[in-house]
Amino acid sequence: MNTEQKVPVTILTGFLGSGKTTLLNRILSEEHGKRIAVIENEYGEVGIDQGLVINADEEVFEMSNGCICCTVRGDLIRVLGNLMKRRDKFDYVLVETTGLADPGPVAQTFFMDDEIREEFSLDGIVTLVDAAHIEQQLGRSDESAEQVAFADVLVLNKTDLVSDESLDNLESRLRDMNRMARVIRSKQADVSINTVLNLSAFDLDQVLQRRPTFLEPEYPFEWTGVFSLKEGRYELTLEEGPDPTMSLVLLLDQDKDETALNNGAESCVRLYAEQEQPMNPGDIVPVGRHVSLQLQSKGTKSFFIDIDKARDIGLFTQHTAEEFNMKLTKVNTPSNDELNNDRNISIIPPIAERTWVAEHEHDDEVGSFAIERVGDVDPDKLNKWLSRLLSEKGVDIFRTKGFISYAGESRRIVFQGVHMLFTAQPDKEWGSEPRRNQLVFIGRNLDEEEMTKEFDKCLV
Amino acid sequence: MSGIEAFTPKGMLHKGWSAQVEDYAITCGWVLQGKAFLVGDSAGGIYSFEGKSGDVIWKKQEVHKGGLLAMSIHPDGKSFATAGQDGRVMIWDSKEGELIKDLDLGQGWAEHIQWSPDGKFLAVTLSRYVYVFCANGQEQWRSDQHPSTASAIAWSNSNELATACYGRVTFFDVISDKVNQKLEWQGSLVSMVLSPDGDIVACGSQDNSVHFWRRSTAQDAEMTGYPGKPSQLAFDSTGTVLATGGSDRVTVWSFQGDGPEGTAPGELTLHTDSISSLAFSNSGMLLASGSRDGSVFAWFLQKNGQGDPVGGAFAGELVSQIAWRPDDGALAAVNAIGGITIWEFKVRTKSAPQGFA
Repeated sequence: MNTEQKVPVTILTGFLGSGKTTLLNRILSEEHGKRIAVIENEYGEVGIDQGLVINADEEVFEMSNGCICCTVRGDLIRVLGNLMKRRDKFDYVLVETTGLADPGPVAQTFFMDDEIREEFSLDGIVTLVDAAHIEQQLGRSDESAEQVAFADVLVLNKTDLVSDESLDNLESRLRDMNRMARVIRSKQADVSINTVLNLSAFDLDQVLQRRPTFLEPEYPFEWTGVFSLKEGRYELTLEEGPDPTMSLVLLLDQDKDETALNNGAESCVRLYAEQEQPMNPGDIVPVGRHVSLQLQSKGTKSFFIDIDKARDIGLFTQHTAEEFNMKLTKVNTPSNDELNNDRNISIIPPIAERTWVAEHEHDDEVGSFAIERVGDVDPDKLNKWLSRLLSEKGVDIFRTKGFISYAGESRRIVFQGVHMLFTAQPDKEWGSEPRRNQLVFIGRNLDEEEMTKEFDKCLV
Repeated sequence: MSGIEAFTPKGMLHKGWSAQVEDYAITCGWVLQGKAFLVGDSAGGIYSFEGKSGDVIWKKQEVHKGGLLAMSIHPDGKSFATAGQDGRVMIWDSKEGELIKDLDLGQGWAEHIQWSPDGKFLAVTLSRYVYVFCANGQEQWRSDQHPSTASAIAWSNSNELATACYGRVTFFDVISDKVNQKLEWQGSLVSMVLSPDGDIVACGSQDNSVHFWRRSTAQDAEMTGYPGKPSQLAFDSTGTVLATGGSDRVTVWSFQGDGPEGTAPGELTLHTDSISSLAFSNSGMLLASGSRDGSVFAWFLQKNGQGDPVGGAFAGELVSQIAWRPDDGALAAVNAIGGITIWEFKVRTKSAPQGFA
């Protein structure tokens, strides 16, 4: 009996009707050479008559300290405790939760209980999403958002019932909530077993291989237009759009090439971080300031831009111009009135446009972000900060994953956490690889700026 | 197995016999006044070994589909009962291994089983329910649904049964079907023992503490600071000291005087890994402890909870249960790979008594 290796455990979550049982049966019927023990919830939708199946009541136990982060699944401890004694009978465990289950206590069980932790390792959390109903579910319940947030793999199921466009929107919304998860589309939970089992989900290398762009910056604006203007006053008109306000930054001398656009975007990120200044219709837009156009009134709203001499300007807007049917026109002065009597309103088209990957497109409370920094961190400082952060905000931080470069340690340190609980373990040698830190947080109402600032203080 | 090398029996433990069962040995006990030793394994096998030689008297395989979970030996030693993942309870004759009763409780795990002290009743848990049967298999009493799965049971006297589940311990009169007492505390209770007089209730908790109540005064106290979950608990036969696991040392609380509140416990340190089993001798203050590292030690305890080792031996793998022979002249240990080891427990006769080396 091999007792040295921990038994991997996959947690299968998803709302009722999302296809958990279908997936479970697929996994069990497929030839994969694994002997899988299934711990099924008491309301198992369809009987599973293959392999080692154990029914368990979902019993969530809080500890006497009253901390909700310290909740565990008592039934799992009991069932796994007994399964440990039959380790020669299986080499993989699948835990199916009921639709309304909070994945927190399930995941925490693998951190909280020493005996379980010694014998089993949480391989990954797979969440099935019913593409046709998840939007409603996300609106109605915290549990579905949490199931999305906790996932290592999101299986977007029943895609045949939804248009491609809404699938793309849904996928982008889900990615926004959980940037760590791999998203797989399926019709009848017909996904490859390899994509849901043996994930070693905490291996960030894999995640980065899958999605190399995952740590690319996201911008607080969606659109940039570069306009070539002469001296004079210009009118910026907006129709009704998706929001009652829109942030905007005006930059002078914005070139239209890619490098210039990127440089402009970088400086705008900083400007966007500043407190916005409200602008009412009729106001003149200042240069290099974060302004918030007030668009509550009905009909067309106008703002003005004064240009002192011929130059190219850049408008960096929170939403795309299209969404508000935004137009820039020259305001006729008396002098050119003479030349142009009929109050000519000619729309000035941009000489260059660019849309950016925007963050927080969907205003979900649940979101995720990554901190990436080169260099080493001070282990004591990091531990102090993380302990404090997780004890204060642990309720809202669902998962923490990543790797860290400790000063003076030749190996990478792998971090993983569920709510308040976290572990830090040495992993592979850095070798010639550049030393860096990547830490991903998934949670509710996370203060990215503050957390990044605190992390930076831990750098050596 | 970690941090420890095999060693020969030391002190008052002397080589007896050893044997092997097919799977993880989860439960054991002596029957027929020590003439036979029973072992149940996780695959649902039951084995009877001759007490002196270790020869197999009889064996049964896969008596519980899915696996055996618990065994309780009748106080007279002539019969015993088993419970398993198939939701069944079986009552067996110790001598021949004949099945006397086979009770099907339904779907779920029959996880804990206990004969009453007078041997008239057999209590068994099935997820959130607790059943009490007469020795002839007739149902005497059934509990209402507990708020969560019953995690432990214990008889406080021949008619009163205590059950533990998440957040509470309940005392039921199984004759009059009354709740005699309810002790509540928010925590996941994983184990329970009662002092022999039934007054003190001690529970190990998931959050690494031992909680106990005195029923007569309704006082309760919590002993914290364990590095692990104190699943193993044992009272000595006089109810003076409570031995607890929850770490690689045995922590012994003394109920002498005003204790154990405000007192420091005795700590028995020789094991190198967590305690996995504890058993007091049938009489006297001898405690046997087994560990995940495969070591077994016998200790002589004082009433204040302090103790000294009087013997040690190596059982090879995680010691899942240990049992003193009814005359306390032998100690048995069963382990996670189905190994059975019996040691004679006595003062050395050929040479002069030696201290523990």
